[in-house]
Amino acid sequence: MSNLNYRLSTVSFALGVLVLAATVSTDVQAQTPQVDPAATRTLKRMTDYLGGLQKFSVHTKNTLEDELESGHRIDLDVSASVLVSRPNELFAERKGDLIDQMFYYNGKTLTLYNPSDKVYATESAPGTIEETLDFARESLGLVVPVADLVYRNAFPLLMQDVNLAVVVGKAVIGGVKCDHLLFSRPGVDFQVWVADSGNPLPYKYVVTDTGTPARLSISTVMSDWNVTPAATDSRFTFVPPPGTKQISFLPL
Amino acid sequence: MKTKLKITIATIALVLILIADVPVLFEQLVPEAHAIFGVRRRAARRGVIVGYSMGEAAATSAAANQAAATSQHQEAAAQQQAAAPPPATAGKPLPLGTVVSALPAGCTSTPVGGVEYYYCGGNFYRAVFQGNQLVYVTAQPK
Repeated sequence: MSNLNYRLSTVSFALGVLVLAATVSTDVQAQTPQVDPAATRTLKRMTDYLGGLQKFSVHTKNTLEDELESGHRIDLDVSASVLVSRPNELFAERKGDLIDQMFYYNGKTLTLYNPSDKVYATESAPGTIEETLDFARESLGLVVPVADLVYRNAFPLLMQDVNLAVVVGKAVIGGVKCDHLLFSRPGVDFQVWVADSGNPLPYKYVVTDTGTPARLSISTVMSDWNVTPAATDSRFTFVPPPGTKQISFLPL
Repeated sequence: MKTKLKITIATIALVLILIADVPVLFEQLVPEAHAIFGVRRRAARRGVIVGYSMGEAAATSAAANQAAATSQHQEAAAQQQAAAPPPATAGKPLPLGTVVSALPAGCTSTPVGGVEYYYCGGNFYRAVFQGNQLVYVTAQPK
């Protein structure tokens, strides 16, 4: 509760400052007063940098808040590693959890593989990572880790309908000093923590659903960024081990 | 808390007053987030319809947590998609295409035309991925 209190007061303080600025400023009509260009600039620097990377790999720890029918809130945790080689190769692996699962995309097909169940399913896929992520989500109901950040055109997607952008301050995430940014649009708030020196990589990403009373969040903490990973083509093509059975995807 | 809330409300009201044309915007999310929250809302609605008891909901969550797959969003999907419990072993056959989160006990597996079918309780099942989740669907071997 104190955290919420802190958030509320931070936001209200930020809003208060903006109101003051809006009252004092003469050209307030010329621009949207609640969007701090410094916050937008940092977000764009991050998305431009990520979008410009030919290859990268990253480890993510994700927490989904969920609400039981009883009204109690619970956290669900998943961690995953992602290896991207643009424009048309992606490998994602859920590691160190109860059940491992791997996702392969090699520019032609996508494969989902459950090693412990010894089953996999393969579908022909579109020609780029972005199209394949859309296809996987919309046609197969399949969600790939950190897809938001893999999209090359992440900036306009993230900034769509944003009516509040604030630099909250500095924070250290996993030993890396970051700029903490808050953005808001109707129904959604999101926060991004971007390294404040060196490569402008994101280290944390929180999306909060403000459209429901529960205000649930999904948070992702990123570590082990590698912008020059070893990524040979063979990493992205699934070769079924002996005894593995092929199954299919249930269409949506 | 109350004071802060009052300040917040007052501040927001002030902002609204100061900005003449507050645009009425529809909810637009990042595609990924949209998918997740979409799932979550559907799950919530389904929960209401099915009328889970607290214990069942908790069990479903636990099952979803255990059985979840690669994606960071898998659990939410799992709750929505694999909420149906396995049917009782005895009784009349289920309609074709019925999805269950796990096979009933005592299934025997038979390969038919390169596909593995599991027979139990008068039903044939085959394994499929529903999103990231491994589930079983009733099917006619062919």
